[in-house]
Amino acid sequence: MSVAVVTAKPTATPAPEFRAGGTDVSERRRSGVSQGMLIDISATGDKTISWDADGAARIGALATIATIATDARIAAAYPGLAASAQGLATPQVRQVATLGGNLAQRSRCWYFRRADIDCLKKGGSTCPARSGNHLYGVAFDLGPCVAPHPSTMAAALLAYDAIVATDRRSGLSIADLLGDGSISHADHALAAGEMIKSIALPAPLQGERASYKRAISRTHAEWPLVELCARVVIAGGKFHFVRLAAGGVAPVPLRLTAVEVQLSGKMANAASIAEAAKAASSGAKPLPMTAYKLDLLQGLVRDVLEQLAN
Amino acid sequence: MTSTTINGRPLVLPDDPDALLVDVIRDGGLTGTKLVCGSGICGACTVLLDGTPVVSCLLPAQAAAGKSLTTIEGIGAAGLHPVQKAFMAHDALQCGFCTPGFVVEAAAFHDGWRATRGAATPSREEIAAALSGHLCRCGAYEGIFRAVAEACSGRFDGNEPIAPRLEARDKVTGLARYTVDIHHDGQLEGVILRSHVAHAKISGLDLAPARAMAGVAAVVPLLDDDNIVRFVGAPIAAVAATDRRTALQAIAAISFKTEPLPAVIGLDAARRDDAPIVFEKKDRKRAGNVSEGAGGAPVSWKGNVRGPSAPFSQKAKQARSWLDEARAQRNPLLVEETFRVSTQQHASLEPHAAVARFDGDQLIVHISTQAIHESMEKIAKRFGLPHDKVRVIADHVGGGFGSKGSVGLETIAAIELARTAKAPVRVAFDREEELSVTGYRPAAELKLSLLPSAEGRLKALSLTAHADTGAAVNSLIAGLARLIYPAEAKELVDFDVLSNLPPGAPFRGPGGPPMSFALEQAVDEAALRMKVDPIALRKLWDPDPNRQRLYDWAAGLDVWKSRKPAAAQTGRYRRGVGVATGYWLYLWQTGSSVELAVKGGRIVASCAVQDIGTGTRSVIANTVAKAFDLEPQDVEVRIGRSNLPRGPGSGGSRVTASVVPPTLLAIDKLKAEIKRTAFRTPAPGSNAPWREMIAASPDIAVSAKRQEDGKPPSGVRPALHEAGIMGRVFGWVLRLMNHMVVGAGVPSSVQVMEVEVDTWLGHVRVLNAYTGLSIGKLAAPMLARSQAAGAVIQGIGYALYETREADPSSGHILSGSMEDYRIPGMADMPKLEVHFDEAGFEHVPGGSVGIGEVATVPTSPAIANAIRDAIGVRLTEIPFRPDRLVAALKGRDAA
Repeated sequence: MSVAVVTAKPTATPAPEFRAGGTDVSERRRSGVSQGMLIDISATGDKTISWDADGAARIGALATIATIATDARIAAAYPGLAASAQGLATPQVRQVATLGGNLAQRSRCWYFRRADIDCLKKGGSTCPARSGNHLYGVAFDLGPCVAPHPSTMAAALLAYDAIVATDRRSGLSIADLLGDGSISHADHALAAGEMIKSIALPAPLQGERASYKRAISRTHAEWPLVELCARVVIAGGKFHFVRLAAGGVAPVPLRLTAVEVQLSGKMANAASIAEAAKAASSGAKPLPMTAYKLDLLQGLVRDVLEQLAN
Repeated sequence: MTSTTINGRPLVLPDDPDALLVDVIRDGGLTGTKLVCGSGICGACTVLLDGTPVVSCLLPAQAAAGKSLTTIEGIGAAGLHPVQKAFMAHDALQCGFCTPGFVVEAAAFHDGWRATRGAATPSREEIAAALSGHLCRCGAYEGIFRAVAEACSGRFDGNEPIAPRLEARDKVTGLARYTVDIHHDGQLEGVILRSHVAHAKISGLDLAPARAMAGVAAVVPLLDDDNIVRFVGAPIAAVAATDRRTALQAIAAISFKTEPLPAVIGLDAARRDDAPIVFEKKDRKRAGNVSEGAGGAPVSWKGNVRGPSAPFSQKAKQARSWLDEARAQRNPLLVEETFRVSTQQHASLEPHAAVARFDGDQLIVHISTQAIHESMEKIAKRFGLPHDKVRVIADHVGGGFGSKGSVGLETIAAIELARTAKAPVRVAFDREEELSVTGYRPAAELKLSLLPSAEGRLKALSLTAHADTGAAVNSLIAGLARLIYPAEAKELVDFDVLSNLPPGAPFRGPGGPPMSFALEQAVDEAALRMKVDPIALRKLWDPDPNRQRLYDWAAGLDVWKSRKPAAAQTGRYRRGVGVATGYWLYLWQTGSSVELAVKGGRIVASCAVQDIGTGTRSVIANTVAKAFDLEPQDVEVRIGRSNLPRGPGSGGSRVTASVVPPTLLAIDKLKAEIKRTAFRTPAPGSNAPWREMIAASPDIAVSAKRQEDGKPPSGVRPALHEAGIMGRVFGWVLRLMNHMVVGAGVPSSVQVMEVEVDTWLGHVRVLNAYTGLSIGKLAAPMLARSQAAGAVIQGIGYALYETREADPSSGHILSGSMEDYRIPGMADMPKLEVHFDEAGFEHVPGGSVGIGEVATVPTSPAIANAIRDAIGVRLTEIPFRPDRLVAALKGRDAA
């Protein structure tokens, strides 16, 4: 829609933006939300998946989501990552969207996505969603912007302790890459012009299982209200290792450490899972419209862990 | 310079890094690929890139460099693909606008499946997952499931099937041309400058800078003459330029002053005593209209609230006093509840679009419209042209659902710009415009009180509706409760609540689904309290003969008979079964005419009507073919041109009942004429089969106008007669002002829904839907089934997912993309059983009435009642999203 005042117009020349699959940036440029120079990296980036001797994978930033979703060795070693890739967007988008692009994509907040509304992520001074309609906003209010981080793969990679390499730095954790949730002007903590090159995952633990699920209103093809990637090692009927990373609830993907701690050493059964799931809201600060996300988060913890315990 | 191959032919790609593949493909003349959502959600633009389905709306054109592209035009170019044949045979399409994308994806899935799985049949879940990147607003999912499954199992490897829908082949091959696909030489692209603020006075509008820009051919003002904008998106001016980008730049160059006025957004804020006023008294005539018909008697206003309007009340004072008494006595049978329905967008996949061209003094306008003939008349009046100097064309229309019934801004702007530029101009709304300023079914608050008598009859009903109509008036919700469940007294009051939001518009059974949502839940609740079967109670309270038969059908369903009480369920997943009833008016349009001719040995049927996916072509072809022992494909049907004999608009479910009767009259005339001319010539003789007689006939033509219905049997009355003298007055006004007649007999639907509620994730799934319909004889049975299925899935969208969201202070529509405005997808379609009861309309020539609206009326309350049955909690506000489900289960208020 063409409106009279485009407040999002940048005052200075915007930083150049990288384009891989283009599934995010194309829409923003068509709508006028994003402008400035484009650097297309689709032909030059690393699309490969390689494995080292101890079974750890390194994924090129330009590997497509569909590749990760269907690669048999990824599915065997990192089933939570594969399931996350299978669960996001639509089949057509997964074919061209890349892992690096998924991590570096911009917010889906409906205020941010309108070219004629100013917001923190567009260089403005306030968050209109905070005082306005934040139905899909965060339930862990960690920073000035109330939009949840959009990257499903980031939550999965957080669960897997993945390490990101850029063209300038290596050894970045997902927390290093995305920040602590207080960054308001951007969706990651990279410097201007810094490019994600590859993502390394440690070798899976002995006997680990993993899964992923998102809570949505329809059956398919919807941004998650809440999503969860979980890894567990169960031995002798008890949880020896639990790792939970949730998306859709905070400005960055969140580890549910309180649940992890509570379950450690507990029986892997429905009763202990249900009890521990209550701790999923530990530290939560819901907005007036987002308390429901905490119920969904608790439900997802039970759902995914029960599935893994069975 | 880079290039690609497209359907085997080389294509040079533009160097512009921002050029998107969909635009390059369409600008190259391959218009089968459709641009709908622009955000990769709906899949209408899907093409194959080196054999892999991708969305061309997000793909940079440069990404196709050195690769091979296949569009819908390239699928089955050397003979139809099995998927295309299966789509045709199973009527896996309605308006057809999403069809090319579905076919491209399904063909790729089919080819991959056959290569690895042979002739195995994919499951529903596998098909739904494979097609999860596609959306169909008409709801053709049922046919798509069948088509893909059977194509994969090899059933369509052979000859081309006969399609039940006449134009199906054009739609599955991408050849069907919609308004957005029209391209004339020298055609310009028009774009509209819209208001950024919800309420303001605009002054100093300076169009000169835009006019001075290279590539700009016309700039016209569109501001209302009071220079006030009353919602975000209100039109200010329009530009026509050589391409969209230039037009957008020109719009940015237009300057004006904005003097903000206090704005008020939405139902609750606008009702407050201190709310800013949207329409001062002198400006009230500027408000839009959310109903199909003209307004009735004058209605009072107080601030932004227009009403009360209560023409259909019956002993209102008596109703009030009985209800007060029951309240005072704490009568346990008194059902009182406040319900809320949300704003539903039409979300037609083809946007509102018009292409205007002047050929000398002749104006030719392609419009994506539901009313070509009426549009022609209105355009002629507005622009001071004689009727024969305006031609409106709509060969195919990509959905309408009520939003395309009047001459809209896209048409006015296209004509104004074409006249000024002296060149053809296309105006096609983008998705954000489509999902914000093209109308909607208004949200409403419905306060209901229902009192059964001690004897178990319906004693009193009170329903008060406040509709969130934005900058529009004329909502009728509560009044519709007069025409079902006779009671001793009813108080039915409607209010419009105006605010600085875009105006609402008619939407599939205007007022019907909201009324039914409240009333059918109240009846359900009454049955629970009276401890009687909800179907039995409806049977007792609702004497309509059509619905009586449908209640018997519903009561006999196994799913109904084997219901389990909610109290018996404590697990995570809980199942429930609910029932609800709906009705709609049987309408037909006076003056509807059909011409039948023999031309070159072939029958040609002509009518200035349009097919918005409802199957009008097939209805006419089937009627003619049956009379002459022909196949429908033997009949050429000419519609979509306003210079053909006057036809009805596609609104109010009136087309079938308006065109079939005159077609039958014309058939009799044509038969007589063929026999008369055959009698004069020796061969083939008057006893030969019709096929031979038609082939041998000279060119002749006859026409007929819609006749009155026959006398209905006693007890079969127009729905409006339930409302006594006011109903009759309403009927007369409708006939005089809108050329619409409310005929005898009430189109009806009884639906039973089985749902499963996931109490952990707040997710509701409709497992099985049973829809019983009484709409007379089926003029096109398979297409009627498609309509029934589409109506149910749209009702599921209304009940579970769809809601327009706005910023509460600025009035910006936030749900302006298809990711935030959530229409149902393939996997959300339940298994469906459709039961047609074909009796009840024998007095209508042909025996058929319309289906489109009635079939969606009871869906949302049937789902609500099923959820109540499953979890023991009644949810009173739709959509039943996860946030509302988890809140209800905890006894907490939702967001």
